[in-house]
Amino acid sequence: MVILEKVSKVYNEGTTQAFEALKEIDLHIAGGETVVLSGVSGSGKSTLLSLIAALDKPSSGKIEVGGELISKLPDIHASAYRAKRIGIIFQHFNLLEALNVEENVIVPLINSGLKTEEIRQKAAKSMEMAAISHKASQQVNALSGGEKQRCAIARALVHDPELILCDEPTANLDRANSLKFIEILRSLHHMGKTVVVATHDPLFEGLPFVDRVIHMEDGRIVEPAGAAPSADLTEES
Amino acid sequence: MNEILLSNEVIVYLLAETVLYLLLFIAFLVTLGLLKRWNFDAFTSEQFQLENRSYLVMTIILFVMLLKILLLPYFVYTIDRLSDLVPGAMCAAGVIKANAYGNPLLSLKIVILFLSGLWLSINRLDLGAKNYPYMKLKSWFFIVVFLFLSAEFILDILYFTHIETTNPVSCCSVIFGQTGGANGLPLGLDIPKLLILFYLLFALVVLTLLSDLLLLSLPATLFFAVIAYYAVVYFFGTYIYELPTHQCPFCMLQDHYYYVGYLLWGLLLFGVFFAIDAAVMQKIFKQPAETLKRNALLLLSLFVLLCSAYVAGYYFKNGVLL
Repeated sequence: MVILEKVSKVYNEGTTQAFEALKEIDLHIAGGETVVLSGVSGSGKSTLLSLIAALDKPSSGKIEVGGELISKLPDIHASAYRAKRIGIIFQHFNLLEALNVEENVIVPLINSGLKTEEIRQKAAKSMEMAAISHKASQQVNALSGGEKQRCAIARALVHDPELILCDEPTANLDRANSLKFIEILRSLHHMGKTVVVATHDPLFEGLPFVDRVIHMEDGRIVEPAGAAPSADLTEES
Repeated sequence: MNEILLSNEVIVYLLAETVLYLLLFIAFLVTLGLLKRWNFDAFTSEQFQLENRSYLVMTIILFVMLLKILLLPYFVYTIDRLSDLVPGAMCAAGVIKANAYGNPLLSLKIVILFLSGLWLSINRLDLGAKNYPYMKLKSWFFIVVFLFLSAEFILDILYFTHIETTNPVSCCSVIFGQTGGANGLPLGLDIPKLLILFYLLFALVVLTLLSDLLLLSLPATLFFAVIAYYAVVYFFGTYIYELPTHQCPFCMLQDHYYYVGYLLWGLLLFGVFFAIDAAVMQKIFKQPAETLKRNALLLLSLFVLLCSAYVAGYYFKNGVLL
């Protein structure tokens, strides 16, 4: 599903402030896998996600997603790739505050060519999956942090993407909401979605449905490991 | 410094041309580097840098070429305004003949307009693909266009610095002198034959575009462009001026004639360009050219209609032809 070969990313390349955020990363993620990228802030997790999402381009190396070479996609195709294949959940939710929940969820489908009724049906299904249907007509700026996150999840799922990328999804959530988020992740995993979560939240370590936890440090993968079974998270959530 | 170089229009024009030429010169240098080292199959840091640089440089070229297209009517407007300063000149026709550089410069600008349009079409194809398939071709094509642009820039400078405001030019004495206009026509044509050829060629262009005979439409369109020029100057233009002896391609650009010349020549130039572009895109690049053909048909039809409308309007108003 996702293949990275010798991927490096240098910010401010060619200047005295050059910073190597990723160093020759090799990574293969199979379809349907749920992978957690862990590591401290600045270890390169978010950069890696942004490259997989084609939000940025690597300085060198090859990235393929679903057989499509995306490391060299021109911007116009990168947008189409994201709109079709990727769902992204951001740490700060990145919602449009002036719109209500349903309108936010509909945004990725604006240029889809679907009829209004189809779009509404997809939005309703997605909001239900993210347990935010009851707030559909609520303005986003009146939502709690957890509700905003569920709205962002609904938006990320509305176009039925193959790959879901989550960048520090629980950084702005309390424990209860974080556990709810993990529950949704579990559902996505069972639906066969490929999920990559970049986080330094210890809650994600040892989850039973997580196939791999990959530790990153200083722009490198230092420890790709299988997940250990969780203790009592399922009961807690 | 002479009065010509101190006129507002010339200052703006030469300043704009100089800035654009500097941008193009930078783009030219970068493009040479791109051509030397480009290898899309490589995933090296150097290739990624080249791809980023190519995106930037192609955006600069795109911007400059679009502005150059807009600068062509501004150039014509500028030389038309200079007719107040050049003795004997009543419109741009006199000013363009003020020295030996004028006519070659105008011709070169029209050639560059067509080449820039083709470059823009190739660039659009390249940006529409995922793997820069025409990167090298459009870079080489830009190098060629840049040579023309360099010649144009030199001619621009030579032309504007060599317009004398003390020597009278032979603007209208030559143009008005050709009563009937037959003397200035090519291929031994007279006005009736010119008009028959004009409408027949238009019909041929329409038919070849509609029936996808694009290899035939290419020479037909180019021939039509030449004949259309003479038809406008020696026949249709006289109905715009309502004066049979007034055979000038430039006076119709003035406010007395509601600037209709810009519309008329614009329709012809862009119509011809779209027809050529359609042939090139379909035959060389194997791309669908329906929109280009539709644009060509629309613009050329409007051109012919507008020309004919002046004759018909004059006849209905006065009951006679000129």
